[in-house]
Amino acid sequence: MNDYSSGPKPDAGANVPQAGLDREQVLANAVADFHDRRARGETIDAESFCRLYPGLEALRSQIDTLDRLEGLLEEPEPAAPDPAAEPLPEKLSGHKILSVIGSGGMGRVLLGQDEALGRPVAVKVLHPRFMNNSVLRTRFMQEARAMARLRHPNIVHIYNLGQPDEIPHFVMEYVQGASLTEAARALTLEQKVELMHKVVLAVDFLHQHQVVHRDLKPGNILVGPDLEPKILDFGLAHQADGGQRLTLAGEIMGTPDYFSPEQSRADPSLDARSDIFSLGIILYQLLTGTLPFRAEKLSDQMRSICEQDPVLPRRINTSIPGELQNVCLKALEKNPGDRYQTAREMADDLARYLAGEPVQASPTSYSRIMAGKIEQHLRDLEGWKQDHILSLYEYDSFRKLYDRLVDREDAWILEVRRLTLAQVTLYLGAWILVVGAMLIELFRYNHLSATTAVLLSAAAAVPTAWIGVRCWQQGHFRIAIAYLLAFCLLLPVVMLIAMDKWHLLAGFTLGDKDLEFFNLFSVAQSNENFRPTNTQLWWAFALSLPAYLWLRRFTKASVFSLAFAVMGALLALVTLLRMGAINWFPDHPGWFFLHLIPVALFFFLIAATIERRNHPADSRYCYPVAVLFTFLALTGVAGFHQPYQDWLRKNIPQTHGLIEYLFIINALVYLSLQSFSEHFGSPQMRSVAKVFRFVIPGHVLTSLLLLGLNASKEFGNGKNLDWRFEARFFEVLLPLAALLFVFGSIPKQMKNFFATGLLFLAIGITRLQQELFKNNAIWPVSLLITGLLLMYIAVNYTPVKLALTRRFRRSRPKE
Amino acid sequence: MDQATSSFHLIDRIKNGDREALSLLFDRHRRRLAVLAHYRLGPHLRGLVEIDDILQETLLKAYVQFDQFTYRTPGSFLRWLARIMEHVVADTARYHGRQKRQAAEMVPLKSESTPEGVELVDSKTPSRLLAQDEALRSLLRELDELPDDYREVILLIKIEGLSTQEAAERMGKSRETIALLLHRAIKRFRQLQDSKEGV
Repeated sequence: MNDYSSGPKPDAGANVPQAGLDREQVLANAVADFHDRRARGETIDAESFCRLYPGLEALRSQIDTLDRLEGLLEEPEPAAPDPAAEPLPEKLSGHKILSVIGSGGMGRVLLGQDEALGRPVAVKVLHPRFMNNSVLRTRFMQEARAMARLRHPNIVHIYNLGQPDEIPHFVMEYVQGASLTEAARALTLEQKVELMHKVVLAVDFLHQHQVVHRDLKPGNILVGPDLEPKILDFGLAHQADGGQRLTLAGEIMGTPDYFSPEQSRADPSLDARSDIFSLGIILYQLLTGTLPFRAEKLSDQMRSICEQDPVLPRRINTSIPGELQNVCLKALEKNPGDRYQTAREMADDLARYLAGEPVQASPTSYSRIMAGKIEQHLRDLEGWKQDHILSLYEYDSFRKLYDRLVDREDAWILEVRRLTLAQVTLYLGAWILVVGAMLIELFRYNHLSATTAVLLSAAAAVPTAWIGVRCWQQGHFRIAIAYLLAFCLLLPVVMLIAMDKWHLLAGFTLGDKDLEFFNLFSVAQSNENFRPTNTQLWWAFALSLPAYLWLRRFTKASVFSLAFAVMGALLALVTLLRMGAINWFPDHPGWFFLHLIPVALFFFLIAATIERRNHPADSRYCYPVAVLFTFLALTGVAGFHQPYQDWLRKNIPQTHGLIEYLFIINALVYLSLQSFSEHFGSPQMRSVAKVFRFVIPGHVLTSLLLLGLNASKEFGNGKNLDWRFEARFFEVLLPLAALLFVFGSIPKQMKNFFATGLLFLAIGITRLQQELFKNNAIWPVSLLITGLLLMYIAVNYTPVKLALTRRFRRSRPKE
Repeated sequence: MDQATSSFHLIDRIKNGDREALSLLFDRHRRRLAVLAHYRLGPHLRGLVEIDDILQETLLKAYVQFDQFTYRTPGSFLRWLARIMEHVVADTARYHGRQKRQAAEMVPLKSESTPEGVELVDSKTPSRLLAQDEALRSLLRELDELPDDYREVILLIKIEGLSTQEAAERMGKSRETIALLLHRAIKRFRQLQDSKEGV
């Protein structure tokens, strides 16, 4: 041993001669030095080390104490390092032991013979290494007891537990079979799914009994020749109720290949849904033949389990049905909350597949996979837009499509929109429910007292809401939406019935019964005060709105924003009724439409505000209402508002106060509205602009046509030259305007400008033939020539343009 | 150097994917880690969490992060495990902090600051691992009787296997002070043991 003679001189030793130094510190330094050398891995002999410090007698006892402490901390050497060499016991629980079947981390499984019953049994014996460890013995027997409590055809059956005087063991059913993956190799897809269905049901049975298996893997699921799977090895089972883990310190839990993300993170809050992930991996392996998460390094594997989406099974084998892929991915969701919440749900989906029904699983990983690719693509699109490869409009429409694909809600929304028999029946039921409630309000029933009617309608609405909310909480979104939507429609009806029957807020609008909307229909029925008043109607709608807002917040489903927008629109209309709109109609219907203008503006304002606040899913439904009101208001004002026509006639007498001019003015208003909306710049405003732009050519060209026809008629009647000029003017103007629209379609790719323009061009040309070129063949001939010429120019567009520009350049210097 | 070489062998085996090797190597340090876990958990958590479970989670994490471990000295594996265990304890404390906060607010636990508080029933029953290891239990009793800084220096030096320099950095004291602390701690520890044997 030359370790310390070649090493640096001991610090403490160097300090010895300094007589002034505290003696205790010197001793302490020596002890520290001894420890540090040990810690560095040097082998030091205590005796020779002490000889270096001749004056320190206490050093030796200090070092001895250190060593004693070391001895206390050393683990006693395991008694038998090689379990295979361990001799087999003769008999256990009275069964003759024949051979070893296998050995795991915790113990060995032996083959025994039950001589009384003449059947083979499997005997699990605690590993000899742990034989002296009373904690492990207790835990081992706990596992056995946990298993013995459970009886299920697909879970291995425990016959009896070993007696305390024998080595710890328990006797179980001997399953002769292959592991799940081996057995599945020769099976058809259907058989594999049936097998998996049984396994999942058995796991559900475990979960029902508060046992989380935590080590589900094909090796722990044996399949006998009768294709009955048996789950074994509860070595890691975790009893969820007691919180007591049946695991062994010093033994790795689980098989990393089948770990759930919670297990990889050693998450203390792990629950039964961890087993569902493992089942997902097993199903994936059965379907594809490969493991979803594989990496060379273990830490990479853990990361892949926690972060990566598996390759889609259908990418590996296209013959795998998409439905099974969905089930598989649903079980493999990273977030336990997104997975099947119980094994029963997964089993139900597998059963649905076997029955040829659509499965309910809608994995979020699809949208994640798409989102990843689409984000990339959107960046490309953005670039292409900037490079003018894409027009702004093309970009917007791509974006809209992609957003719908990525939208996390989309999976079940698609489901809600798909019209299956079940879905149609569901909505039909909801609709009949609502109609029934409305009948209670609209008709009078002699045998129905007021309170009964209210209770009846409430009895329809309250359970509907309750079931809807419960279904939503349990994740049955498709069903919940139907119930909640039915509730949305029922709520105002029920409130209306309540207010009507109990005569709440029953006052007439402006005190006049004739101003009541429902009075219009009750001419035949002469009972006064029976119909709901406008005020009641108004309050029914107004009080329903907060409920829609709450539902929107609760479900985050934008369909309730639609309900909110629609009810808001109805509320606006009822507000007009309360202002006495009924009275306007006979004499001044224009008033009604005039009042719609502020309503439309109001909705625009709300929609823009909501969109600015970054809730595009909500504003999406306000804009259509706003646009609808705008069209209604402007059209109505132009069509029915007498003062407007009078104003036009007075100020521009040439127009004769014809409403067609007012429609052209409307078209100009739409034009300015569209450029304003477009200037606003938000995507939804851009689509609003598109809608406004859409109606312009129809308005303008139809008006021009009607004006022309009118002028011709007037001219034909009175041979007034003024009318003749006007008729000619419009005959020419119509095709010219149509041409304008045809070419106007270019900058913003407005297909409807193009189509409407062409249609009215044809009409205009025909009108010219009728009026201007009566019986003259020059017109069609010139049209033929013009058509051919235009086509020729268009084909040779580039050379013609080049020639023209050269012409211009040459001629310009001369000037 | 026997243990060192065999540890080194075991590490090689683990790197080749031998899971039992990690278990064996871990077992070799189990008592040290148990003692460390016992003190790192503190009196409150000790009643809520099994030391065995802390060791289990530590082993699992070690298994997962094994390729981040580089072998330097015989003690480096233990030190690495100790560091992992501290993370596990911190995670557990956070988890239980969340879980038990309300309960703790309602019933003040007995502690130095609130001697009138309720004592956790469980805090008296030792971990199952300790339950059947009399030697380890008496070691804990002796360590319990040491003053806090004596115990801490023994934990760092003898249990975690740090050098005095490292321990000094960890405790924010000079190496000299640590040496003195260690010396006195050992002396006191011996006295405790001797007095027990005498009885």
